[in-house]
Amino acid sequence: MKQNNLMKKATPYLFILPWIIGFLVFTIGPLIFSLVMSFFDWPLTADPTFVGIGNYVKMFTSDKQFLKSLTISLKYAAIFVPLNMIIALFLAMLITQPVKGVKIFRTIYYIPTVISGVAVSILWGWILNGDYGVLNYLLSLIGIKGPKWLVDPAWALLAVIIASAFGVGSMMLIFYTDIKNIPIDVYEAAAIDGANPARQFFSITLPIITPTILFNLITSIISSFQQVTLVMLLTGGGPLKSTYFYGLYTYNNAFKHHKLGYASANAWVMFVIILCLTALVFKSSSAWVFYETEAGGTEKKKKRGGKK
Amino acid sequence: MKKRLAVLLALAMTGTMILSACGGKEEDGKTSDGKVKVRFASWDEAEDVDAQQEMVDKFNAEHDDIEVTLEAYGGEFDTKISAGMGSNDTPDVMYMWNYPAYYQGLEPLDSYIESEGADYKSNFYDTLWNYNSLDGETYGIPIGFTTHALFYNKDIFAEAGIEEPTNDWTWDDVIAASKTITEKCEGKKGFSFQMKPDPYDFEMYLWSNGTAYTDKEGNLDGNLNSDKAKEVFKMFQDMEKEGYAVATEKSGTDEFRSGNTAMYVYGSWSINTLKEDGVNFGVVDIPAFAGEGDSVSILSSSGISMSKDSKNKEAAWEFIKFWTSEEMNKERIGRELPVLHSVVESEGIMEQPEYTAFYTMLEQSADYTPASFIIESWSELSENLSLSFERVFNPSAMEDVSDVLDEAAEQ
Repeated sequence: MKQNNLMKKATPYLFILPWIIGFLVFTIGPLIFSLVMSFFDWPLTADPTFVGIGNYVKMFTSDKQFLKSLTISLKYAAIFVPLNMIIALFLAMLITQPVKGVKIFRTIYYIPTVISGVAVSILWGWILNGDYGVLNYLLSLIGIKGPKWLVDPAWALLAVIIASAFGVGSMMLIFYTDIKNIPIDVYEAAAIDGANPARQFFSITLPIITPTILFNLITSIISSFQQVTLVMLLTGGGPLKSTYFYGLYTYNNAFKHHKLGYASANAWVMFVIILCLTALVFKSSSAWVFYETEAGGTEKKKKRGGKK
Repeated sequence: MKKRLAVLLALAMTGTMILSACGGKEEDGKTSDGKVKVRFASWDEAEDVDAQQEMVDKFNAEHDDIEVTLEAYGGEFDTKISAGMGSNDTPDVMYMWNYPAYYQGLEPLDSYIESEGADYKSNFYDTLWNYNSLDGETYGIPIGFTTHALFYNKDIFAEAGIEEPTNDWTWDDVIAASKTITEKCEGKKGFSFQMKPDPYDFEMYLWSNGTAYTDKEGNLDGNLNSDKAKEVFKMFQDMEKEGYAVATEKSGTDEFRSGNTAMYVYGSWSINTLKEDGVNFGVVDIPAFAGEGDSVSILSSSGISMSKDSKNKEAAWEFIKFWTSEEMNKERIGRELPVLHSVVESEGIMEQPEYTAFYTMLEQSADYTPASFIIESWSELSENLSLSFERVFNPSAMEDVSDVLDEAAEQ
């Protein structure tokens, strides 16, 4: 009997064991290993030597590129995250409209998300080319002489942001499903009370989807700090290192300069920064995120029960 | 009963996963039928890999006791070799170019070379050995190379009505021709060079003008920022400023093949593309600096190396010998320039005008050692230099040559 009980308890864990092992071996393991590495001078081909917190000291005191790259990544995140969310929300609103052929638009907006980052980079390399690019050609049609996007340091970061915004589809889809879940009777009631569509959006849609906004905000902050494919292939960190993102800086330290220990330290600093930012967002969320269950929870629940 | 089945199932799933992850390992680098196994890593891609596989199969067919497996790492070659060395999983034999970065993981080959007799070594172009060794030890056998040369578009020169470049041109001739072409041919530029040149490649211009990035001890100051070096950068920057040369975002091949530029300096890589496009082009030696003697070219060389951790060094050497043989040199013509004197002669390479300049440049460039072989932290220096050069050549920066180089030399 006792044995049977134990087995009963263990069964579910046994079923997810492959994933637990995968998580331990491929995620937690390397994570801890990289923390250990960050305390070593770890060249690729020779033996590692212990340097304590030397890597961290060097990063904050003598490596000018560290701060520069961090600033670039922060700047990128500061522009990209809000921009991306606004575009995603806008598109999500568009595809919830009852228009003919909306399914086609939905697919079109989503397609870029499924294309691999490498292909996207190559595509935008052509679009953004200063002399022969499509974008500058289109601008020339309306009489604007486009900048040399990938050559002029003043424009390159913006070019990367534009190219990144291309992959807005998955965020759009998350917004879309949430907006679709809002019961139509709420809008009907508001319409009867005389609320125009703009008022409906700001007073109904936006408050109800704040949990989704929180989710998208956090995931996009994290992913914007991890952006590396695009800058590696589109600009190579240039021109004049104006798009030398923190991710690229870490990657180059590891695989170009073969300083694995130093790069691990870079990565851990980034981890701590992302952790702090995420914590900050979470902290602030109680002020602006609205959960249905919070506001007069009992009443709502009852209502739902009644509906059944 | 059902519960037990469930547990069993879960365990089976886990077991399969672990087994499939660990499976396929062989003891002591031998295959099940007792052959010695040699792993060979190549950076080639697509149809080049198919051609290589054929040649590897041929080797395997000729040897009863060795089995070579080709591992095509493609564009991620360096990352994968790095990762392999970092985790003690280096292939036995691999393509190699960046010796300063990897030599600690490679087997010195001098004793193997000696055992083949003097003729073996002397059949290779001498300059190539410099690029495949470090601190007096040879770490790779040359398999291919390219030097740089001046490509020019014959049609544009005819249109402008001026004489085509020759092997004795100096930069003054290039500047004069570029001016004429830019003025006479609508929308065309005379010359192009890279806005962000690879510092490794760019050193050849400094050599041609009698200087280098660094002295033998690795001091930048007084070399990188010498008057002779500044002269070189100033010349290119002036050509760009005055508008008859263009600094290209990439190599310049695209601009050249589309007929927008009349001249550029590049390696033999573009010959096949240009031929396919039907560009009417010629190739001559890199122009010299007036009063400085012959021009010099950098070598982009590839070699084949052995891992120092290989368990089957004899077999690996057997394969390296095969891969560097006359027969294989001939096989690879069209993809790589042959590195053996005997093959260049027997195949009449020197009679093909587009190739001769690369061999002249090879012979003219014998006694130069790139800074990457002298300076230990080259990859970082290279990144800094690259930024400095971009500051000089990027049209939205165009900073003063002297200031930038003085600053770069201080680092």
